[in-house]
Amino acid sequence: MALLAPTRAEEAIAELLDGPEGRVAVLAGGTDLLLDLEEGKGAPEVLLSLHRLPWRELRWGREHLEVGATLPLAELERDPELARRIPGLLEAVGAVGGFALRNQATLGGNLVRASPVSDLIPILLALECEVGILGSTGERTIPLEKFLLGPRRTVLARGELVRRVVIPTLPSAFRWQRVRPANDVSQISVAVARTPDGEHWRIATAGVAPLARRARTAEALLRGRSPPEELMVSAAAGAAEEAGVRADKRATDTYRRQLLRTLVLRAIRAVPVGPTGDAG
Amino acid sequence: MTSPLRLLVNGVPVETPVPPSERLLDTLRWRLGLRGTKEGCRTGACGACTVLIGGHPRLSCLTLSHQVGEEPILTVEGLESDPVGRAVMDVFVAEAALQCGYCTPGFVVALTGLLKEHPGASESSLLEGLQGNLCRCTGYSSIRRAVTRLAEPAP
Repeated sequence: MALLAPTRAEEAIAELLDGPEGRVAVLAGGTDLLLDLEEGKGAPEVLLSLHRLPWRELRWGREHLEVGATLPLAELERDPELARRIPGLLEAVGAVGGFALRNQATLGGNLVRASPVSDLIPILLALECEVGILGSTGERTIPLEKFLLGPRRTVLARGELVRRVVIPTLPSAFRWQRVRPANDVSQISVAVARTPDGEHWRIATAGVAPLARRARTAEALLRGRSPPEELMVSAAAGAAEEAGVRADKRATDTYRRQLLRTLVLRAIRAVPVGPTGDAG
Repeated sequence: MTSPLRLLVNGVPVETPVPPSERLLDTLRWRLGLRGTKEGCRTGACGACTVLIGGHPRLSCLTLSHQVGEEPILTVEGLESDPVGRAVMDVFVAEAALQCGYCTPGFVVALTGLLKEHPGASESSLLEGLQGNLCRCTGYSSIRRAVTRLAEPAP
């Protein structure tokens, strides 16, 4: 196996298009890919490491945060604005692995690997972030929900790389439950975001269906910056029904359903009522 | 296939041939003879292999040596000559904050990284920063005592 670490995007894309399919594996932080390689899953001829590409932006706009694909998650955590402007994202990033792992793992890598247990996918779905995809003909941007096709599957075509993630700054919250606080997989994780005017709420759950997904029926029940208690309770109960809860070695379906209802309720309550996420 | 690799380890420039897919953990232990860094789980779950890269705690079992580049690496062997690392180790010794000692390099390196980045960090934030480190002897109470001494007293 050879390791290539191009410094220009064009070289990286040319390498991806060269030779037969499956010849190249793309390496970002490597915290997930290296586990697969260690287990003998896949035998790429070339590891294409993105670490020399200048793709580590962290740029605040009026209503968005733009994050370069290879920015380590810990750099997001270090940003002094994040707690105020996208609180749910800070909480979700803090749930990934442990601190040492977050100095390595990247946002782009998390999305491309599309793990069913990703703690970042639910919050990014709730925030309705967009994914910038770079290919040989330029960059296209698509909503995350369209980017993800299923567990471990995305729309990325051959010769394409995730270049950036554009995240709306919205009042939001994230809640999770697992056996061990760090370096473990959540039994359930829940993300909630709302538009600044309170017109639209969004709920996304993970640890339930094959891949994190929105709970649209439940979220449609919520209106306003501070919905009445009975609507919050109904939305939480609805989300628990809608999520497609399953049993596995980490939790039974009954436990998950109960957990989900509790965590959705807590996350809704935790979304700041004030204008968090607004510019300024 | 190996290719030459230059690293800066504990202040010393080293050059050694390293296969492209080799983990930093293996390069440190088996090519450079720095066996203080431990292999615990090799899956990023236990923190025993923690080293500092560019001053930040990283898991050497999930880092390819060729990905490190020019960033300085600090392992447990280099803590002696680092004032923060020295202080952390002294407190671990004073509190006997270990049982079998296998996880200790990971704990002291992680704490050194946390304290270098956040001098005067609170006890709770240090404990949170250590969540990724496991002690399989479950000797946590003495480790907690050491952390209490290293933390700033609560305001």
